[in-house]
Amino acid sequence: MEEKKDKTGLLREVLDGAAGLAGSYAATLTHLFRRPVTEQYPEYKRPMPARTRGRIILTRSPDGKERCVACYLCSGACPVNCISMQSEEGPDGRRRAAWFRINFARCIYCGLCEEACPTLALQLTPEFAFCKDAIEDFVYEKEDLLVDHGGKDPDYDFYAHAGVAAGRPKGEHIGEDEPVDVKSILP
Amino acid sequence: MPDLIIDGRPVRVPKGTPVIAAAESLGIVIPRFCWHPALGAAGACRMCAVMFLDGPVKGLEMSCMVPAADGMVVETFHPEAVTFRRRVVELLMANHPHDCPVCDEGGHCLLQDETISGGHALRRFPGRKRTYLDQDLGPFIQHEMNRCIHCYRCARFYQEYCGYLDFGPMQNANRVYFGRFASGPLESPFSGNLADICPTGTLTDKPGRYKSRRWDCQRAPSVCPHCSLGCATVALSRYREVVRVEARENPAVNGHFICDRGRYSFGYAASAERPRQARADGVPTSMSTALALAGTRLGGVVEAFGPEAVAVVGSARSSLETQTALTALARAGGWRGPAFFADRTEQQAVAAALAALAGGRARSLAEIGQADAVLCLGVSPLHDAPMLALSLRQAARAGAVVAVADPRPATLPLPFTHLPLAPDKLPGAAALLTGAEAADAAAIQRALPLSPELWPALERLAPAFAAAGNPVLVFAPALAAQAPADARFGLFPVLCGPNAAGAALVADADAPACDDLARAIEAGEVKGLVLAEADAAALSPRLAAALPGLETLVVLDHLPTPSFAAAKVFLPTQTLFESGGTLCNNEARLQYAAPVAPPGEPVSRDGRGGHPPRDYARKLPGTDPLPAAALCAVLALEMGLDMPALSFAAFTGVGPEDVAPEGTRATRLPAAPTAPAPPSAPPGQGLVVVRDDALFATDAYGRYAPLARAQAPAASVVRLHPDDAAGLGLADGEALTVTVGDRRIEATLAVSAAVARGAAVVPRLPGWAGLPAAIGPETLRRRQP
Repeated sequence: MEEKKDKTGLLREVLDGAAGLAGSYAATLTHLFRRPVTEQYPEYKRPMPARTRGRIILTRSPDGKERCVACYLCSGACPVNCISMQSEEGPDGRRRAAWFRINFARCIYCGLCEEACPTLALQLTPEFAFCKDAIEDFVYEKEDLLVDHGGKDPDYDFYAHAGVAAGRPKGEHIGEDEPVDVKSILP
Repeated sequence: MPDLIIDGRPVRVPKGTPVIAAAESLGIVIPRFCWHPALGAAGACRMCAVMFLDGPVKGLEMSCMVPAADGMVVETFHPEAVTFRRRVVELLMANHPHDCPVCDEGGHCLLQDETISGGHALRRFPGRKRTYLDQDLGPFIQHEMNRCIHCYRCARFYQEYCGYLDFGPMQNANRVYFGRFASGPLESPFSGNLADICPTGTLTDKPGRYKSRRWDCQRAPSVCPHCSLGCATVALSRYREVVRVEARENPAVNGHFICDRGRYSFGYAASAERPRQARADGVPTSMSTALALAGTRLGGVVEAFGPEAVAVVGSARSSLETQTALTALARAGGWRGPAFFADRTEQQAVAAALAALAGGRARSLAEIGQADAVLCLGVSPLHDAPMLALSLRQAARAGAVVAVADPRPATLPLPFTHLPLAPDKLPGAAALLTGAEAADAAAIQRALPLSPELWPALERLAPAFAAAGNPVLVFAPALAAQAPADARFGLFPVLCGPNAAGAALVADADAPACDDLARAIEAGEVKGLVLAEADAAALSPRLAAALPGLETLVVLDHLPTPSFAAAKVFLPTQTLFESGGTLCNNEARLQYAAPVAPPGEPVSRDGRGGHPPRDYARKLPGTDPLPAAALCAVLALEMGLDMPALSFAAFTGVGPEDVAPEGTRATRLPAAPTAPAPPSAPPGQGLVVVRDDALFATDAYGRYAPLARAQAPAASVVRLHPDDAAGLGLADGEALTVTVGDRRIEATLAVSAAVARGAAVVPRLPGWAGLPAAIGPETLRRRQP
């Protein structure tokens, strides 16, 4: 009884093994006749999702002005200290960066700066491949970072909301009342 | 002494302490906007609500408004209190402009902290936001009213604490506005504190506007070097430049605040004119070349004329470390000096002023605020030591009698009596008010026969001073002899520089003064001079005039003074911000200023305002300067001198390791030297020259700080009493030509009855240092058009 059982068990194992081998050979064979999935980079550059974290840009608000107000939040959030800047007051009263520098040789593309940016100025783009011969060339200045579009959020304008008189007078921002007349006693 | 329990921890506090302060003594910080230890409670913000579970008060109450009482059981994290505070923040944020990215307060904003810690993230209120128009409040304070939460801290500080009325609350209900009737610079010389006490970004620091975030700054405790009081400050530096100076709390000296002179005169350290490179015969060279040349030149003088032919001059603005190193250098070489003061009389006067402090008679600024009668003798508080005016104001608020006996016109934000008396009349006036018995009318008339207009005021003051239990005499060192023997009187000298007391402690009793050295140079006895952080022109015009007679002049400094221009060998030194140092203030309190700014040309100038240079391998520009004390040691090494290891403990009794954070009083005061003779009337008919400081740009450092210089009055003013002006045939507002030595200075005349008869008040500027002790019509002339 036990011997018979052993014989049938052995036979089944051999058959199963053969079926497994045949199945995998079949799978390999079918792939021989399929189109390859490998993309030949860099001949073919795959379109990346918009939120891929690659090279950083400084975007502009819908009116074409610089969005960056040099608030130092990105440089404060940066875990590798690759962002440095100096803020100043521009001729139109807007706070802006006198200079703004990102050292991409040091950047780890973590995106914390983008999360910290309160004006949606600093954005990471899908561009991830920008090799240089010299490491100093990875230091990008403000002129290199500024683009002439709004990036992922083309409609947002920080100065339309913030109640400071920079370009737009007090009381004319979104959701604001007329300025209080301090010399009137009318209710 | 009530006993109470806060968050399960028992605490005993003095009677009258509010619960919020009692909690703070346990390290429990209850959220607050309007309460401030120096300003007290207003109950305006409703942020400090806590739950009182047991005791005389029960329920949800504001911890700033409830004085601690026996048996109280307080819970700061009671769910009801937490919910209440969270809603208060949400209400305060309903009108907030949401502009933190462009707000300079961001990063050290109390409102931001409480909003985030309270968890308020989304504005639920659907209504529109209230807005205000802003004002231009002058060069120091930026106004952004939309951010205001109406805590009234600014108004309480500005009007109640400081006593100025041009800024305050207006309008009512939901429209309350903090500002001036019209745009214009704030009148208070303490206005810079508004940026410190405002818990939001409504009032921020204008000179530091858009410069940096708090978290990017290097910060270190520092000491203000702009007058002799030694107020505690915090210096903030970024990119090799001091960007801001703030008040630091020192309960014994300045309390919570500092004056605008101390706050805005830091620009000398990063000024473009600051000499940062060594020079040999006027030609820029390397530090090592200049040091070798200084050694060779001084060595040559010693070889040819002996060690006595070299002299050392220091000043009252150097740290104790520098002054000690100069002394060690002079001792090692057997040279003359160091001289720290203009003349022997001044040195003796400062030593006598310090000697008078022995026996526990010294008073601190905080103690002046608690005095019941204060006489300022030969001191103009707002100009000689601005924070003294704020302490006098606190004393006056508590009912103290304040009198200022000084030839210069005095304005103070408090009720006080001004006794405009010429310097030679001051000892007489002091005797009337500091005696144990009240002087009667006859004595007053005898003492001041020519000033009948002052008799009624003195008759009123004399009994008040005689009855005072805790009076203080604030005096200029020249009047040290007037310090009353009556131990009732506390003493508070006001000296002539941030470390004048240190200089008097370090200087030997028989050390030469600058005038002695000038005489020796004129006689050909001194051929080589080392000027360390001292400007001969400002210190002693006679010494400045004698400088060309020297064979070699070695100058160590960080200010572009006329002496720097005259130097044969120039060695750049570091500022207090870079090297740190110990300063000894007017009450002989030693305080340590920590280094905060790394040496070197500021990044802003290095990059010419744009991107800093990308050459990372180069040596940073402007990093040559060394601490003056280190330069002394290297110079001694160059000359093969064996410089003794000397610590300032040898002069002050307090070593560097013993200096406490709030300062430590020197234990070795000068043994009572012969007190200087009281000022006497000038011979002949002339007017006594009295020098007056302005709030800005008359102190040694402020003169070289661009921001402070911009605040200085454009034209120099000479002030005369109407009688004296009439005697000279001059009228108010007239353009004058003042002859100082062989130069002519243009000035305008201001005539005021607040000037003492027989005195001519001139600005304390180096250009005016050459005036004789008394001047007449040949010096003060109407300017010919």
